Amino acid sequence: MSFFDKYASLIPVLLIYVVLFAIGILVPGMWQPVAFIMFYITLGQAFNIFLGLTGYVDFGYVAFLALGAYGMAIAVESLGGANLGFGIILIGLVLAIVMASILSLAVGAVALRLRGAYFAIATIGVNEGFRYFVEGARIWGGSEGIIISGAMRNIFGRETANFISTFVSDILVFIIAILAAIVTVLIMNRKMGYALMAVREDEDAAKVMGINVTKYKVMAFIASASFAGLIGASAWTLKMTYVFPSDVFLITYTVEAIVIVMLGGAGTLMGPVVGGLIYGILKYYLSITLPGFQLIILAPLLVVIVIAFPEGVVGALKRKARGNARKYLR
Amino acid sequence: MPFFEQLAGNLVYGAILGSVYGLSTMGLSLIFGVLRIVNVGHGPFIMLGAFTAFWMFTLFGIAPVISISVALVLGLALGFVVFFAVIKRLINAPELSTLLATFAIGIFLEEVAKFIWGPDHRGYSWDIGSIDLSITLIPYSKILAFISSIVIAYLLYMWFQKTKLGAAVRAVVEDSEGAAACGINVGRIYALSFAIGIGLTVASGVLVTLFVPVGINPYMGHEYTLKAFVIAVLGGLASPWGAFYAGFIFGLIENGSYTLLGTIPGVEPFSLTRFVAFSLLLVILLIKPTGLLGGESK
Repeated sequence: MSFFDKYASLIPVLLIYVVLFAIGILVPGMWQPVAFIMFYITLGQAFNIFLGLTGYVDFGYVAFLALGAYGMAIAVESLGGANLGFGIILIGLVLAIVMASILSLAVGAVALRLRGAYFAIATIGVNEGFRYFVEGARIWGGSEGIIISGAMRNIFGRETANFISTFVSDILVFIIAILAAIVTVLIMNRKMGYALMAVREDEDAAKVMGINVTKYKVMAFIASASFAGLIGASAWTLKMTYVFPSDVFLITYTVEAIVIVMLGGAGTLMGPVVGGLIYGILKYYLSITLPGFQLIILAPLLVVIVIAFPEGVVGALKRKARGNARKYLR
Repeated sequence: MPFFEQLAGNLVYGAILGSVYGLSTMGLSLIFGVLRIVNVGHGPFIMLGAFTAFWMFTLFGIAPVISISVALVLGLALGFVVFFAVIKRLINAPELSTLLATFAIGIFLEEVAKFIWGPDHRGYSWDIGSIDLSITLIPYSKILAFISSIVIAYLLYMWFQKTKLGAAVRAVVEDSEGAAACGINVGRIYALSFAIGIGLTVASGVLVTLFVPVGINPYMGHEYTLKAFVIAVLGGLASPWGAFYAGFIFGLIENGSYTLLGTIPGVEPFSLTRFVAFSLLLVILLIKPTGLLGGESK
């Protein structure tokens, strides 16, 4: 494959991001819905790095978003008086990655030895266990959480603090989405991507062929978790300016990530983008027209996808596409 | 010493609660044992049983012990519906598909329950007096729950051991292809086992209401899904009997550790108890994924 063939699939994805960004900036009143949709696309992109590339479902994925959210909150709260300006956000993002990847390394080293149902059960256990640990041992504010709106106003002043929560946090989500797409393609085109493909098809066979299965699974897990941490830090802490354990460990976000990836097509670069677009638009307008009914519509939808279109929209398109169109749809 | 009295009292209570935990996990283990499917939407079925008990009691004044049979029939019917609508189509699908489908079914049930009955916490009180054990007071209603769990588990055991259909289910668990070769209609056994598993789960929801005075709400199931996972893994995941015994162990650990953690200043013992439960889950999965109480490794 030529260099262009390898990376051609990035073009339509980045094009969609540019179009979304342009709509948000140029059309009055559209920034909020665009940011809302973008959150789901990014969540799907990050989750796809693990679910899509390895075929394992992490039912406790939201724990990584939660740790990222705490990472940012802790940075702002404890370094608020250090006069660092925007540097504090950078430190928060780094702390988010570090905390999410440490947890993913610990969980991955243990749980990724398990398969299928056992892995699913273990990951649900980790998420709930961690939440109850935070609440029970009263670390990071316990069940009262951390509120950073005061600290943010002290550091940046009222105007800038507002600007960060309503605009900068959304821009960060855009950047994370671009980075996640690039990392996905980079993994797919390297030895790691081929190894994971072998794992997905037949893990035992891959092992016999001499592939260090656990190593690649853990690497994908950490990459996926780090992006989750970044999303939690920007889309939750910076935007909402508070972190409550009952919100950030909510299993709903894991479900949403699964739905998006499955809807679009697991293991494809375009899948989470399409899935996130459909899901985000559907949810945004359902929450306006039929508030409170999103899940009652989305749950049967997931069942239908699983039974009728296990490959997702992009997976199905990919099978039909021929020749040149195919390399844009990986 | 008051501490040991408290501990003893909590352990008695833990054993009683454990019997209900055991019963509520048997359905999960039965379904996994026969169909090799983990019902990730397990808890919402318990919630349906809880609402059955609530409405039977508040509308018709029917005692929960009698509502068990109603819940069992409702659960069996629901189990057949879910099986033929969804599960049947996924028997040979990858594990991912059944995990996602059962998860979605659970959420759907919760949302339907919320739509019909609203998100409020409800409860009822069935007061028929209590017995004084000198270390603690145990209401008769909870003792009846204890007896009901054991009776149901025993009846199921007898059904498995003594009837032809029960033997057929055991044969499918052992080797589904071999069973098919012997003329057993495996598809029908799948449907029946799934329905019985759901029936048991919904029935156990009735007994759960005797332990949560005001905790009946559409989302109450989550907690029981997670506890059922811990218990099922403890009991070997594929064995309903293992699950029943593991329920007792879990009840004892949960209530025992609550008393111990309560002595540590500055923590919330209730949340930490749950943390202990999930740590236990991970440790068991790590050292002996087939369960502490034996269970075949497959």
